[in-house]
Amino acid sequence: MKRLLLPAAALAAFLLGCAEAPDPSVRYVDPGAQGQIAGTGLESQDISAAAQKAAQSIVALPAIVKAAKPPVILIAPVTNRSANPIDADLYTTKLRGTLMQYATDKVRFLARDASAKANEREQELRESGAVQPGGTATTGRIGATYDYVLTAEVRGISTANKRGQSDWFLVAFKLVDFQDMLLWESQYEVKKEGRENAIYR
Amino acid sequence: MPRRRVFPAIWAVASAAALSAGCAGAQHFSSSGTPISDEVWAAAEARVRAEGIPPELELETIGLYSEGRQNSVLHAMRAGLTAIRIGRFDLAKRFFDGAISEVEALQEGAPQAERAKSVFVAEREKWFKGESYERAALFFYRGLLYLQDQDFGNAAACFKRCQLQDLRGSEANVPEADWGSAEWGLALAALKQGHPEDAAVALARAAKFPSRQGDLPPPRANQNLLLVIEAGEGPIKVRGGRQGETLLYSELPLLTSAFEVRRGGTLLARSAAAENLFFQASTRGEREADRFLADKADFTEGAGTAATVLGIGALGTAASGQSDIAAAALGAAAFGTAIAAASSRPEADIRRWDNLSHSIFLIGLALPQGANTLEITGLDASGRSVEHQTLEFNVPDSGRPPLAVRFLRF
Repeated sequence: MKRLLLPAAALAAFLLGCAEAPDPSVRYVDPGAQGQIAGTGLESQDISAAAQKAAQSIVALPAIVKAAKPPVILIAPVTNRSANPIDADLYTTKLRGTLMQYATDKVRFLARDASAKANEREQELRESGAVQPGGTATTGRIGATYDYVLTAEVRGISTANKRGQSDWFLVAFKLVDFQDMLLWESQYEVKKEGRENAIYR
Repeated sequence: MPRRRVFPAIWAVASAAALSAGCAGAQHFSSSGTPISDEVWAAAEARVRAEGIPPELELETIGLYSEGRQNSVLHAMRAGLTAIRIGRFDLAKRFFDGAISEVEALQEGAPQAERAKSVFVAEREKWFKGESYERAALFFYRGLLYLQDQDFGNAAACFKRCQLQDLRGSEANVPEADWGSAEWGLALAALKQGHPEDAAVALARAAKFPSRQGDLPPPRANQNLLLVIEAGEGPIKVRGGRQGETLLYSELPLLTSAFEVRRGGTLLARSAAAENLFFQASTRGEREADRFLADKADFTEGAGTAATVLGIGALGTAASGQSDIAAAALGAAAFGTAIAAASSRPEADIRRWDNLSHSIFLIGLALPQGANTLEITGLDASGRSVEHQTLEFNVPDSGRPPLAVRFLRF
C-alpha cells in the first residue's frame, strides 16, 4: 500500500501542476440568466425586464388604446447618467425589440437609425434618376414622422467600501408628444450589492 | 539496501521523472509562476497571428490567451495601455472591456480566492484584479476612450467607477476617493453633455483632494482637444517584511512637475499633474489580504522554529540512548514541520500593471480651425524645460468639431 502512495502523490502533483491550462469549453447559457461573472452593474436581463414593464404600461395608456390609428413612436437612444458604463446601442436595440414584441398591434415604431440612413441614400439615388420605385416614376420620399418619442435614461447611485460595492439603478422611461407634453413616465429600479473576497480587500 | 526498500525509492525517482517529463514541454510560465503547456502556448500564438495583433502587443496577448483568468486582467491592462500608445484604440477598448468585466466580478466565496488564503498557496495564484490604484486606472483610461468616441455618458460612468475603485481601497478614516483626474474627466464629460452643474460639483470635490499636485486648469465645454500626457514610470511593487509578506511600493521620482502648451510662442495652457499614481498606490489603507500574509509569515517562522526544536530533541533522544522509536518520532515530526515551513507561501503578490506612468497630465484646449502646431514642454519644479515634443493637430473646417484626444508619452 505504501508503495502506491508515493507514485499516487506524484501523479496528483503532476496533475495539479498542469491543471492551470485554461478551459476551452464553450456552453450555451440562458441569456436571461445571471452570468457567472457576477458584478453589481446593470445587465441585459435588467434592461429586458424594464422594457417589458414599460411596454405593458404603454399599450394600456388611454391615448394609445383609444387612438383612431396606431400612433407612431420614435425610440430615442438610451442615455446613461449612472456610474456604470453600458452599451447604449445594445440596450436601445433590446428595448425596441421588447416593445415590438409586446405592443406590435397597438403602436408603430419609427426606425430612425441605420434604415433611415439607407432611405436617405435611396432618396438621393431616386432624385438623381439612378433608381425608380417600381421602375415607373421618380417620386420623392416623404419620411414618416412620429407622434411620440420614447426616451429611456439610466441613472444610479453607487457606493463602495473595502467589503464590496452597491449599485442602485433607476431606468426612467418617458413618452413625450411632439409638443413636448409628457404623456407618460415609468421607472424601473434595480439594486445590487456584492461582497468582495477578503483576499482582494 | 534491502529489496523492499529499493522499490519505493525507484518509484519515487520514476514518479519524479514522470512529473518533470509531464511538464518538460512547459518552458513558458505564467505571471503567477504556473507552467504553461506547449499546446496552450502554441494555440495562443496561433490566435494572436490569426487576429493580426501588432508586434508590440503580441507577448501580452499571448499571456492573455494562455494564462486563463488567473492573469487575464493583468495582461489586458498592460496590452490595453500599449494599444492606446500605438494608436490601436479598437484593441485597447477590447482589452479594457474584458478586464473590466473581470474586475467587476466580485469573488466572495469563490474557490480560487479562498484557496489563495491557504498557508501553502502564494497570493500571486489568485486571479489578478489589481490593487485599487490599478483598478481605478483601468476605468480612468476606459473613460478617456469613451471621451474620444464622443460617448460622454459612458465616459462619465467610467470616471465615477474609477472613484468607486479608489473607495474600495480606502481606510475607514479616509472615506473619500481622491482621483482628481477622474473628477476632471467627469467634469469635461458633463460639460459636453450640457450639465455644467455636474461639472462644477466634480471640480469642487477635486479641489479638496489631498492628492492634488498643483494648479490644473478646469475643462471647458468648447474645448476640442484633450492632451493626455503620461510621464515617468509607474509604482513598483516590492516585498518587505521578514518573509516577504508585506507589499510595498517603490517610486522612480519624476523630474517633470508641470507641462505647458504653446502655439506660435503663445502660451495656451500650463498644468500640474492631474494624477500621481505613486501617491494613489502608496496612500491606500491597509489591505485585509495583508493579515492573511502576516498569518502565513507567522506560520512559516513558527514551523521553522518547531522543526529546529524537534530536530534537536530527536538528536538528544538518540544520543542519550533512549527509545529509538521516540527519537524516530521526533525526527519525523521535525522533518514534517520543516517541510511545512518550506512549503508555506507567505510572500506578497507583486504582479503589477507595469506600463503605467508615474503621473498623468490632462490639458484641454480650444483650438481654431485649421492646422495647429503645438509645442509641449515638460518643466521641472523650478520652471526649467526638461523635455519637449511637437504635435501637429488639425481642426476640421466644417461644423462643430468633436473632442479629439491625443495621448503623449514622455
